[in-house]
Amino acid sequence: MRGGDAAAAAEEGPPRSPDLCDFSDDSDYAAAAAASDHTAMRTDSVDRGLDETARIDVIYEKERVTIHPTQYGSGRISGKLRLFLQQGSLFLSWEPNEGADSLSTSSISVEIEKYRNLYTIKALPLSDVRFIRRHTPTFGLDYIIIVLSSGLAFPPFYFYNGGIRELFATLKQHVFIIRSDDDPNVFLVNDFQDPLQKSLSSLELPGVASMANAMSRQNSLSFTGSVDETRHGAEDRHGGASSMSQYGSKQKHKSNDPGRDLSIQVLEKFSLVTKFARDTTSSLFRDNSGAHAYGRQQHEYLLDNKASDKHKNQYITPEKASIPSAPLESDPLPLVWGKQRDHPLTVEEWTAFLDPEGRVMDSKALRKKVFYGGVDHVLRKEVWKFLLGYHEYDSTDAEREYLAAIKRAEYEAIKSQWKSISATQAKRFTKFRERKGLIDKDVVRTDRSVSYYEGDDNRNVVVLRDILLTYSFYNFDLGYCQLVELLDPPLHNYFRQNDCLNYFFCFRWVLIQFKREFSFDQIMLLWEVLWTHYLSEHFHLYLCVAILKRYRQRIIGEQMDFDTLLKFINELSGQINLDRAIQDAEALCTIAGENGASCIPPGTPPSMPIETDGGLYVQEDEVL
Amino acid sequence: MSYAYLFKYIIIGDTGVGKSCLLLQFTDKRFRSDHDLTIGVEFGARMITIDNKPIKLQIWDTAGQESFRSITRSYYRGAAGALLVYDITRRETFNHLASWLEDARQHANANMTVMLIGNKCDLSHRRAVSYEEGEQFAKEHGLVFMEASAKTAQNVEEAFIKTAGTIYKKIQDGIFDLSNESNGIKPGYTVHNSSGGGAGSSSQAGGCCS
Repeated sequence: MRGGDAAAAAEEGPPRSPDLCDFSDDSDYAAAAAASDHTAMRTDSVDRGLDETARIDVIYEKERVTIHPTQYGSGRISGKLRLFLQQGSLFLSWEPNEGADSLSTSSISVEIEKYRNLYTIKALPLSDVRFIRRHTPTFGLDYIIIVLSSGLAFPPFYFYNGGIRELFATLKQHVFIIRSDDDPNVFLVNDFQDPLQKSLSSLELPGVASMANAMSRQNSLSFTGSVDETRHGAEDRHGGASSMSQYGSKQKHKSNDPGRDLSIQVLEKFSLVTKFARDTTSSLFRDNSGAHAYGRQQHEYLLDNKASDKHKNQYITPEKASIPSAPLESDPLPLVWGKQRDHPLTVEEWTAFLDPEGRVMDSKALRKKVFYGGVDHVLRKEVWKFLLGYHEYDSTDAEREYLAAIKRAEYEAIKSQWKSISATQAKRFTKFRERKGLIDKDVVRTDRSVSYYEGDDNRNVVVLRDILLTYSFYNFDLGYCQLVELLDPPLHNYFRQNDCLNYFFCFRWVLIQFKREFSFDQIMLLWEVLWTHYLSEHFHLYLCVAILKRYRQRIIGEQMDFDTLLKFINELSGQINLDRAIQDAEALCTIAGENGASCIPPGTPPSMPIETDGGLYVQEDEVL
Repeated sequence: MSYAYLFKYIIIGDTGVGKSCLLLQFTDKRFRSDHDLTIGVEFGARMITIDNKPIKLQIWDTAGQESFRSITRSYYRGAAGALLVYDITRRETFNHLASWLEDARQHANANMTVMLIGNKCDLSHRRAVSYEEGEQFAKEHGLVFMEASAKTAQNVEEAFIKTAGTIYKKIQDGIFDLSNESNGIKPGYTVHNSSGGGAGSSSQAGGCCS
C-alpha cells in the first residue's frame, strides 16, 4: 500500500502542505473518495447494485447502530446494520441514515454529513472477517468492533437499541464462530487454523456450504497462511499491499480492483478520524461548557479501552500476555495495525544472508528482517556495522578486514591529534577546551547504572570518552543538540491551541532517540529498527506520532496544557509498550506513504545512520 | 493528597552545577555523584508545610547545557519560584548568572521569587567563588542567597522552604492575583475555610483564613 494506491489517489489533489496529518486534508479526501466511488456510494447505490445480481435475503437488520467518529455528541452517525445472504454467501452492511439525526447545527455536523458515507459498508463478505469483539461496558452502550483478516478494523458500532445478542445468534447460524481462548469477548470468525475444528465445523454448521463457497472464492491469506501466523493474528505479515491485491484478484464479483479500494478506504477512514480529531479539538475550545462532560465521557471511554488494549496485546502476542500493558496507555489506533513483531535475527538466518565471500546478498531483506525483529545480541557487534554504514553490504570479508585496519589507523591518527594538545595549547584553544569539558562532564553521566559503565575508574568510560572526543574532533560541526523542526501528528490543532506546537515535550524522544524511554535491552532493539531505514529514515518521527496518538484521548480529554503535557510525556518513560509503538508507527508510515515522506521538511535529521551525498558519514574534514 | 497551594519551581543554572542533585536530595534525601545528564526537563514534587498549611512544590529541573537554552526558556512560564544555581568551585558558572537572570527576566513572571544557590559548599577547599561574592551578587539583583551542598544536604531543605516562605508571604501581601495561574500558584482544594476553590476570587483567596 505504501506509496501505491494511497499516494496515487492523493496525487490528484493540489500540492501538499508540510503537515504530517495532511492526508486528512479535504482535497485529498475528495480525491480519494472519487477514486473509490463504490465505497462511497449511498444507500440507493446499494439497491442499484443489487438489481444487477441475484436477490438478497436480509436475515438480520437493526436500526440505530451508530458510529462515534468523535466523542462529540453531535458527531454521531446513526445507521442500519444488516446481514444478508446473496448467492449463498453471507454479507454485512452498514448504511448511515439519510440526513442529520442530531439537532446540532454546528459546523462539525455539517462536516459529518459531508463525509458520513465514507463509513458506509456496502457488502462485506463475512469470509473477510477475522474476528468480532464485543464490548458490554458497565456504563454506556454496547458496541462491537469488526476486524478483518487483513488486520483492518472498522470503527466501533454502538447499538442504541440493543441487538448484539441477536446479531451473534444470526451469525452463528451461517458462519463458524468460536470464542477466543484469550478473551471471552472476542469471537473468531472462520477460524480454521485447527484441522479438527475445521472438520467439526463442517458437521456442526448449517452455513458451512456458504463458507466453503466463500473460501474457494477467496482462497487467501488467513486460511491458507501458516498456522503460526494465523494464530497470532498476523495474517498480513507478508505486507498489506500484497495480501490486498491477492484478495482483489479473487474477488470476481466486483468490477474494479477491490484491493485498491480497500486501501483507499483505509486511508479515507483513517483521515476521517484524524480530521474529526482536529475538528473536535477546535470545537472543544470554542465550547468550554461542554468540555467537562466531554472529559468525563472520555474517562469512561478510557476505562473501557484499557480492557480492549489488554486484550489486543494478548491476542497479537500471546507469548507476552503476562506483561501487563502500560497502565497509562489508552488510545488505540483503531483502523490499521502494523505487522506482528518477529523474533530477532538468529545466527543461522544471518549466515544465510551471506554469500561465500561474505557479501550480504539481499540487504533489503536483511533490513526488513531487522526492522521486524531486531538482532540477536551476539550478532549485534557484527550486524550493527552494516546497519550503521561502517561496512557496505556488498563488501567481502576480505575487503572489510582491510577497511577496518585502515579505519583503526585513521582513528588513532585523529586521536593523537587531540591527545597531543598540551595544557598550554588548550588554554588558547577555546573551542577545544569547551568541547572537551562538555564531553568529560557528560561521559561520567552516561548510563553509569548499566554494568558495562559501572563503577569509578571504569575503563569503558575512558574508552567512551576517547571515542566521543575523537569523533567530535573528526566531525567538529556535528551539533550536540539537534532539534526536530517539524512534526505534525493529528493532535496538531490541539497543540496549536495550547501553545504546544514547539513539540518540546517530544524533544527528549527525538534528541536521544528514545534512550530514556525504554530499558537498555529495548533500546538496542529499537535502535536497530531505526537504523534499518526500512520504511523511512525518519521512522523515529512516526514513532513519536504513534505514541502521541495512543494518548490522544487522554491529552485532549484531560485538556492538558503545556506544563501538564510535558510532565505527562516525561512520565511515560518506562511505560510505553515498545512492540506496539513500533507496530503503530509502521501502520502510520504505511498509511502516510510518500505523503508522509514529503511532508517532513527537508533538512530534518534522519535517525542514524546519516547518509550524505558522498555516502555514509562522508563529511569534509574540518579539523582545525 | 490535598494542599492549600501548589507552587511551581524551576531550577536553573549552568550544566553540572548540581541542579538535579539538589532536587534529588530535596525529594528523595539521596545523593548521586553521577546523575544522568538532564535532557530538557525532569520533574520532582514534595509537600511542605508553611504556616500550618500543606503546600505542594512541583519542581522543574531543567537542562543546563547551552544547547538546550531555547528549550529551557519555555519552562519559565508560570513558575512562582526559581532556584538559580552555580558551582562555587567553577568560576564560570558564577560568571554566567547574569545571563540566566536575563532569561528569567524575559520569560518568567515578574513576581517570580529567585533564590541564588552556591552549590557544592562541601568542596570549599576548591572554592573559586567566595561567599561574599555570592552574597553581593544576590543583593545587587534582589535575590535570596544561600550556599548549599546537595552532597551533604546542607541547606538544601532550607533553600526550597525559604523560597516557598517568600512566595507565601507574597500571597499574604496580596501581590498575586490567584485567579491567574501564570503566577505559578494554584490554590488547592483542601479544608480552606472560606475561599478554597479560589479560581474566581482574587488576592484574598489565600490571605484570610487561619
